[in-house]
Amino acid sequence: MRTLTAVVTVALLSASPALAVDLTFWHYWDGTNGQALQKLIDQYQKAHPGVNIKAEFVPGGELQTKLQTAITGHRTPSMAIADLTNMPALVRSGALVPLDPYMAKSKVNLGDYFQGPLVYGKYQGGQYSLPVSASNLALFYNKDLFRQAGLDPNKPPRTWEELEQVAKTIQAKTGKQGFELFTQGGEGTSWQWQVFLWGAGGDVLNKQNTAAAFNSPAGVKALQYWVDLVNKDKVSNVAPWGQFGRGDAAMVMDGSWMTQFFPEQIDFELGSAPFPSPKGMPPATNMGGEQVFIFKGDPATQQAAWDFINWFSSTPVQIQWDRMTGFMPVKKSVANAPSYRNWVKNTRPLLQPFVDSMAFAHPRPPVPEYAQLSDRLAQAIQEAVTGRAKPADALNRAAQDVNRLLK
Amino acid sequence: MHASRPLPLSRSPRRAREARSWPTALLFLLPAIVILGTFNVYPALYSLYLSFFEWNGFTPNRDWVGGGNYAQLVTSPEFWNSLKVTALYAGGVTLASLALGLLVAVLLNQPIRGRTFYRVLYFLPVITPTVAAGVVWKYLFDPTQGAVNNLLGSIGIHGPNWLVDPKWALLAVIIVGVWKRVGFNVVVYLAALQGVPRAYYEAAQIDGATPWQQLRYVTVPLLAPTTFFLVITSLIEAFQVFDLVYVMTAGGPLGATDVFGFYLYREGFKYSQLGFASAIAYVMFALIFLATVVQFRFTRGGQDA
Repeated sequence: MRTLTAVVTVALLSASPALAVDLTFWHYWDGTNGQALQKLIDQYQKAHPGVNIKAEFVPGGELQTKLQTAITGHRTPSMAIADLTNMPALVRSGALVPLDPYMAKSKVNLGDYFQGPLVYGKYQGGQYSLPVSASNLALFYNKDLFRQAGLDPNKPPRTWEELEQVAKTIQAKTGKQGFELFTQGGEGTSWQWQVFLWGAGGDVLNKQNTAAAFNSPAGVKALQYWVDLVNKDKVSNVAPWGQFGRGDAAMVMDGSWMTQFFPEQIDFELGSAPFPSPKGMPPATNMGGEQVFIFKGDPATQQAAWDFINWFSSTPVQIQWDRMTGFMPVKKSVANAPSYRNWVKNTRPLLQPFVDSMAFAHPRPPVPEYAQLSDRLAQAIQEAVTGRAKPADALNRAAQDVNRLLK
Repeated sequence: MHASRPLPLSRSPRRAREARSWPTALLFLLPAIVILGTFNVYPALYSLYLSFFEWNGFTPNRDWVGGGNYAQLVTSPEFWNSLKVTALYAGGVTLASLALGLLVAVLLNQPIRGRTFYRVLYFLPVITPTVAAGVVWKYLFDPTQGAVNNLLGSIGIHGPNWLVDPKWALLAVIIVGVWKRVGFNVVVYLAALQGVPRAYYEAAQIDGATPWQQLRYVTVPLLAPTTFFLVITSLIEAFQVFDLVYVMTAGGPLGATDVFGFYLYREGFKYSQLGFASAIAYVMFALIFLATVVQFRFTRGGQDA
């Protein structure tokens, strides 16, 4: 009897609550992505019996508000993800744990990350979040329309000049719209146009992110290009989004996630390519994605959260993750891994140009005022495209407002 | 005051009874007080308090700016644009839905076949969720694929670029607002029409009044209290429109449909300027309050007109 008691005691002690850690993880990954996350969590918990991770799904539009409430009410989860553009407000909230000491101890190589997304976690010299998923923009084109216009369906345009020419040819030969642009305003217009701005050699803000830089000659050139596409060549039009998906436009700039969704909704042969830039200029694109971060709590919870994030961010797990979700890699070692490259080649060939584009994907300015800045910029673009203002005037006025905003 | 003096007898037995019943009354009122206090009164007052601060909802400390948010508001071109857009929307929806509502109610008050069916038909939009209706209307207004322009095309009119053209977007949203509101006005007018004595019409007919004259000189004046009620409720409702704009245009293009409700949402929840958004909310409250007071005075509470 005594031995039995001893055994039970030992057993109980070894499973003592001091060792078990409960973690909560707020995210907005739904459908396949949510299932992929749960699968990885299950995998992690099997290998780490003391850790209990509860993934809580919050709809995308509500997560930021929920985090806001949680921070103000001091009821934060152990860790969470957020959209890139929401990170600047989060890192400034004072509620996040700087990851630098953990990264140093775990010997994390930040150099392996694509540099674009990393900037969102930086604040006052510290790193507060890490990228865990990415998406970016490239060119989709309708191979059937290329053929109908007598063009080589395997030769998508590489430069702005070619894009313009191809669009004109297809429009003349087939009567379909040459190139669909997002002209409805807001972030949709703004983030597409930024690709043209970077392509022309410009930038949204100055290096210190303290003043507007989009009203530079490069900015005027990029906006004039849009104005010409719409008003001179008339290959793009001001109309509701969706012409390309219906087969009514030959080319469009859209996101890596559409390599999954377009094939479900279209009845033509689809091609993809890195987005063209002006002749002689390096290519550029914009990107989206999520970052993961830890909230301040007791040291054991913080450590356990980091251990999970560190595992989640490791190259083999990220390869699994990206293959399950179709997200773009955030690390070069993932993008270059044979197992990942073969998966893209064999199951999602349309994704290859997007994977290649990660190397030159620019971050949108990591400032808390981004949402306002983006709307104001989109307004200037709309003013120019609808002929209400000259590109330079529209951009200069927007720059004045943005400078006031950043002060 | 001497301790030995009896209490003044001003407290009648009735008042004493009332005083005793106070705790009971309070007990019954408590749930309502707690719920309304927590979810209506407290947030409303807290929002007033917030309107004097600059705060993004994240940082632990807020910066006191006094009337700064209000000053910034009245000097902002977006505010004046939003005020104009809201007034146009509220005025447009109210006028059109009232006129149409009265017309339809008078028609449905006639002994026509399938009257109940039509009544249900007109009321359907009222109970249709706004977001669902907005999404469907967005498709209907598509310049090339939409039913609206196809219909216009069939009678030889080249329809506009509705929701993406700053000149037409607000009209499109107003049309949907009217579509959504008319049914309610019809039902209220129908009820009011039942209360108009037949004798008035008979008298008018004997005097040789045409149907139009009967409508103009009998129906409309007798329905005035109802009309005023509908004007007030419609204006208040239209002033607060948000979901329709959120779904159909997101305030665009170029601010053409940037109604107050959407302006507030954008500043508060997209730009995280909670103090500034609270100031917008209070200006909006003041305007609706003012409109109500003016109308109340004007109509003496809708008692007569």
